[in-house]
Amino acid sequence: MNSRRVEDLMVPLSEYATVSAGCSLREAVVALEKAQRKFGQAKYRHRAILILNEENRVIGKLNQLNAVRALIPVHHGNYGTDELRCFGFSNRFVRKLYQHYRQQSVQLPELCNNARAFRVEDYMCSPSEDECIDHKADLATAIHQLVQENLRSLLVTNHGEIVGILRLADLFSAIYHTVARQSDRT
Amino acid sequence: MKELLKLYRRIVQRVNINLREFNFDVEPFICNLVSFDELKKVHGFYAITSQHPLDFQFRNSNLAGSYFLGKCRATSSILYKSDIRGDELKKKGTVFCIDDFQIPLTRNEGIHIEDSLFIKTLVHNFSHDPETPERFTISNTVSTHYANIHGSPTDGTFLEPFSTIDLTTVNDCIIGAFSYIQAGEINHFHIKPGTIWVRSTGSFNFLYRYPADALNRYIRLCPGAPPRGIFIEFINKYKEPFERIFATVNIKTALDVPPNSSLDRFAAIIPKISIKDNVLVAQRSFLQNSSLGKGANAQENCFIINSNLAGYNVTAHGAKLIDVDMEEMVFVGFNSFLRGQGCRLTIGRDSIIMPHTIIDIQKPLHIPAGSLVWGLVTCEDELATNSISLKDLRQLEDGFCRGDLVFEGSGSEFVSAFQSRIRHILDANGAFYDGVDNKGHAQKNQNISFNIIQPYSEGNKIGIYPTIIIRK
Repeated sequence: MNSRRVEDLMVPLSEYATVSAGCSLREAVVALEKAQRKFGQAKYRHRAILILNEENRVIGKLNQLNAVRALIPVHHGNYGTDELRCFGFSNRFVRKLYQHYRQQSVQLPELCNNARAFRVEDYMCSPSEDECIDHKADLATAIHQLVQENLRSLLVTNHGEIVGILRLADLFSAIYHTVARQSDRT
Repeated sequence: MKELLKLYRRIVQRVNINLREFNFDVEPFICNLVSFDELKKVHGFYAITSQHPLDFQFRNSNLAGSYFLGKCRATSSILYKSDIRGDELKKKGTVFCIDDFQIPLTRNEGIHIEDSLFIKTLVHNFSHDPETPERFTISNTVSTHYANIHGSPTDGTFLEPFSTIDLTTVNDCIIGAFSYIQAGEINHFHIKPGTIWVRSTGSFNFLYRYPADALNRYIRLCPGAPPRGIFIEFINKYKEPFERIFATVNIKTALDVPPNSSLDRFAAIIPKISIKDNVLVAQRSFLQNSSLGKGANAQENCFIINSNLAGYNVTAHGAKLIDVDMEEMVFVGFNSFLRGQGCRLTIGRDSIIMPHTIIDIQKPLHIPAGSLVWGLVTCEDELATNSISLKDLRQLEDGFCRGDLVFEGSGSEFVSAFQSRIRHILDANGAFYDGVDNKGHAQKNQNISFNIIQPYSEGNKIGIYPTIIIRK
């Protein structure tokens, strides 16, 4: 376990769901489904899509939460949920308010249909330094970084370029496999 | 000039340092707003009364066209045509009650302005911060045309035109044009233009934001240009009477003002005006063809034109009334703009027009008695969306949303808080003076003398005022 590196557990970029910048949200979801089928032997399925620029470099990540966020109707008052919290409104009130907005707004099936018009760049997260880890880093470093940053995956870099993704699920599986074996011995 | 320029650059840098997390540069927004030539020429002045402490200290500052009353300090600051009005500061020997604290005051409270630049800004009221009960400090701050810093200790902040911070401690914030913030304390906040936010933690939270396109017609600030829009065009129309008043040393008015009322010598009056008992007309207010009933007031930068105020009306700092008839006890909040364009706006008794409300109509409009009105109203339909009766609001205990307003909490507590504050404002302004008790500004600010102060007129320090300490 000690000798294992991030690159040993990461999913290479070639096996991950990717789309080009400029694609619609619908195209991104289709790409994710396709990658999941291709990666079907794995116990855990992909939960994010990486966005590539014209040079095939990763410029962002669209996770499930980002994709779902696109389906929240925007009220004409344009107070985002995050903004209302900044202004001190309670979570309970914000939920109630959005329930009211939803009743007055476009319904979910129609929003899903509109997903073809949403651009992935508008909803993706740009990778930050805290979200990246070098491919040669050890797993203890990866664990620390995932916990500290409260992340579900890390983008793996090789000389600054993103080459893969280290998923919490794979790391969890590897660690607890080791834990279980050691428990058996004792 | 060298020192004045150095001072300007120092202030810009200090504000930018405080706002660096927003990657914000204040310089493009203010570079063309003040003429250095004017800063060199225009004098400042301070008020002398027997009712307020005489205690001024000015160091390394420019005070062009600014007015000081009460205990004030200005250090390394440029204050252009601003009113630093210290007639509500806390007094030595009194007890300041806030939250659950009762804080005895061992000295008079003072307004301390440090490393700041104000353009046509009003500073008034007192520090509501229990951590600084004897110091109302404004530092590292730039504020622009007709902003109000009201009872709000402020650091590292940029206030865009016609914004108001009220009873709120503000640190490292950008306050967008025509925003009104009353929220206790805010830190590291970029408030978008036209945001009206009134929060009392645990009781209520009121938030409204003007649609950007609509607000831009009234006021907008872009880098490299002065503020633009209907508000600025309106004020510029009335520049001339003020220039005359500020250029004249002794002004006598033919207007019959009752002995218990106060008409400031720096107010502009165009006949025909009627002023009844216990009325306060503050400096830089403009009255034309209007009547002010008993206990009404017109605070700084107010315009009251072709309007009738029945009595006990508050026209708060910067509010404008054109072709308006108000019944008794109507409150019009800060910087509100109420205009009938060739038609009358009538407002029923006990109504509250929220701070920073725009009512701009082309057909007659009647606001029923006991209404709360907010935001933009140009017709009956918008009034229906942007108003509620106080009676109905009192019944709401869980919040509501209507148009661009979201409100959480107790409507009853909101109404009570506003009504109590309105009564306090009327009281502080002397509306309830009975000849013996309840003296307020209308009675205390009657006999004010003004002295002029001027800067160096040549050399490196041209435009900088010498260190001046004035005490009783």
